[in-house]
Amino acid sequence: MAPVVGIVANPVSARDIRRVVANATSLQVTDRANILLRVLAALRACGVADVLMMPENGGIRSHVERGLARARAQGDDLYPAIHAVAMPITGTVADTHRATRQMRLAGAAAIVVLGGDGTHRAVAAECGAVPIAGISTGTNNAFPDHREPTITGLATGLAVMGRVPPHIAFRGNKRIDVSINDGATTDLALVDVALVTERYIGARALWRTENFRELYVTFADPEVIGMSAIAGLLEPVARDESGGLMVRLSPAGHAPSDGGTILRAPIAPGMMASIGVTDWRRMPADVAFVPEVASGSIALDGEREMSFTTRDRLSLTLRDHAFRTVNVGGCMRFAAQNRLFTDAPAPVSADF
Amino acid sequence: MSENPFPLSKDDLLKAYRTMRTIRDFEERLHIDFAKGDIPGFVHLYAGEEACATGIMMHLNDNDRIASTHRGHGHCIAKGVDVHAMMAEIYGRSTGACRGKGGSMHIADLSKGMMGANGILGAGAPLICGAALAAKVRGDRGVGITFVGDGASNQGTFLESLNLAAVWNLPVVFVVENNGYAESTAMEWAVSCDSYVDRATGFGMPGVTVDGTDLFAVHEAAGEIIRRARDGGGPALLECNMVRFYGHFEGDAQTYRAKGEVEALRASRDCLVMLAERVVEAGVVARDELHRIDREVADLIEDAVRAAKAAPLPAASELLTDVYVSY
Repeated sequence: MAPVVGIVANPVSARDIRRVVANATSLQVTDRANILLRVLAALRACGVADVLMMPENGGIRSHVERGLARARAQGDDLYPAIHAVAMPITGTVADTHRATRQMRLAGAAAIVVLGGDGTHRAVAAECGAVPIAGISTGTNNAFPDHREPTITGLATGLAVMGRVPPHIAFRGNKRIDVSINDGATTDLALVDVALVTERYIGARALWRTENFRELYVTFADPEVIGMSAIAGLLEPVARDESGGLMVRLSPAGHAPSDGGTILRAPIAPGMMASIGVTDWRRMPADVAFVPEVASGSIALDGEREMSFTTRDRLSLTLRDHAFRTVNVGGCMRFAAQNRLFTDAPAPVSADF
Repeated sequence: MSENPFPLSKDDLLKAYRTMRTIRDFEERLHIDFAKGDIPGFVHLYAGEEACATGIMMHLNDNDRIASTHRGHGHCIAKGVDVHAMMAEIYGRSTGACRGKGGSMHIADLSKGMMGANGILGAGAPLICGAALAAKVRGDRGVGITFVGDGASNQGTFLESLNLAAVWNLPVVFVVENNGYAESTAMEWAVSCDSYVDRATGFGMPGVTVDGTDLFAVHEAAGEIIRRARDGGGPALLECNMVRFYGHFEGDAQTYRAKGEVEALRASRDCLVMLAERVVEAGVVARDELHRIDREVADLIEDAVRAAKAAPLPAASELLTDVYVSY
């Protein structure tokens, strides 16, 4: 059976208050549609004939359809056939959950995701063993790599068409499972769980550092921004090593306790903030951590998602190899080494 | 009482609840009285959208100006316009905010910075640019807020105002109250760019979308945007996604809405209920305190209606007064 690629494109990411409190990017719907057309062209170039797309009313679809119609009118076979997942549209994260579930059940070989960390998190919650190819169209975006979507599309196309061996094409990723009251409520984070003292969701984004108390990250990369940057500037932890990092935080205005320090970190685009760091330690996989914060809000991948009180029992557990992603760099290096984009026979390098 | 985890003091939480409850009861009462035929003219109700007006107006003072819409009662109440004067105005009585000659769609009170509801869709936007220019020239840190619905946001006046505010770097906040319907047309049929944030970006200003049924979300986002405008950061757009409990106008049969849609919205997205539950659950406010406000507001609305009905209609001799203003 020819592989089908799923596409989840969130029309509403990158719309939050960080455009005012920081100077975050605004990515217009037409730009999202153009990104999608680039991905589609790349998939087609690798031989993918069919994609399954999440329906939405945010405007991406209509702009993409214009691009497809123009190509058809010009006689170009640039794009795969697009099939919309048959589902009602609610305009909420439930759409992403439902579309991903249906793509998995339909046997999608991979799911290309356009969105921020939040969109990727929603897909990861439902994708099972189907690998994700992430494209950043959100605000902080520690999870999806920042790269030209055409390349992500090419790598995904090569991976699903079997042109790259699976052990190179895909790789495992960590996540943190959040459980409240022994599993009565569960959620997950792909990059970070932050516990803050604000007990309201409000405008969701995190920027008031005086309220930060605890941070748990799956990986700590000094090259990203957001909450993960705090951990990344203390003790880097790679995406592909086991376990993560746990950091205890305190208001920067107060002198941290013995051994503590003040860290300056880019917690949002263009926003360097001073953060009191009490201490940090490794967070091994499969060990449940019980936060010390008695009440406040849980922020998942940089956005406040739910509040909790002293009556609620929280538990956080990091899982290795929780879901798979397309290894874009690995696929493209393999393609270069094996001349996947040249006509056979492979040309000889001038170095020989 | 527990430690307050909210960004508002207990007094401010109670004040916000009182404002939202006043808007709700005001509108619910008009819904009934209009159906009875007691009220002249047209009425467009704000019920369901209270968190938006309240969360924004908490950041304003009487020096700040707002320009409202045809659905303006909530904006008026949140901006501090007297409820008795509003009710009398809607009843067309001489004790009304505009001496009974404006009605629901033309309530104004300049002493409160309320430049007027407006029967012309999108007409508030140019007006607020003028008010904001005045504030900028005076240098008094005043800001102007204009409200439009998702329908009026397609009007040329609104789009021209976005441009003007950006060009002149005016302290204006454009609030798009997106309740999903332009009268009866769902927005995906009528708004080309599908995102108001995109529209703002196109005119060179930031745009932010929030859940307009969440008082704290509106309050937090509006606070940052208004502070930015006061500090000379220029205009911005705030899109509040919200719900409308009644029709476009009173008497609207709402055949364009799905069966059960309004009931579902009332059950799951009632901003007033959500606020009450959260502050009570957090232990910051006792339910009895909210009930006391409920009773006081009910009395206020009842008294406003009684007083309005008892007040005289404008005299025929006033027909041509207040029609033109000489400068």
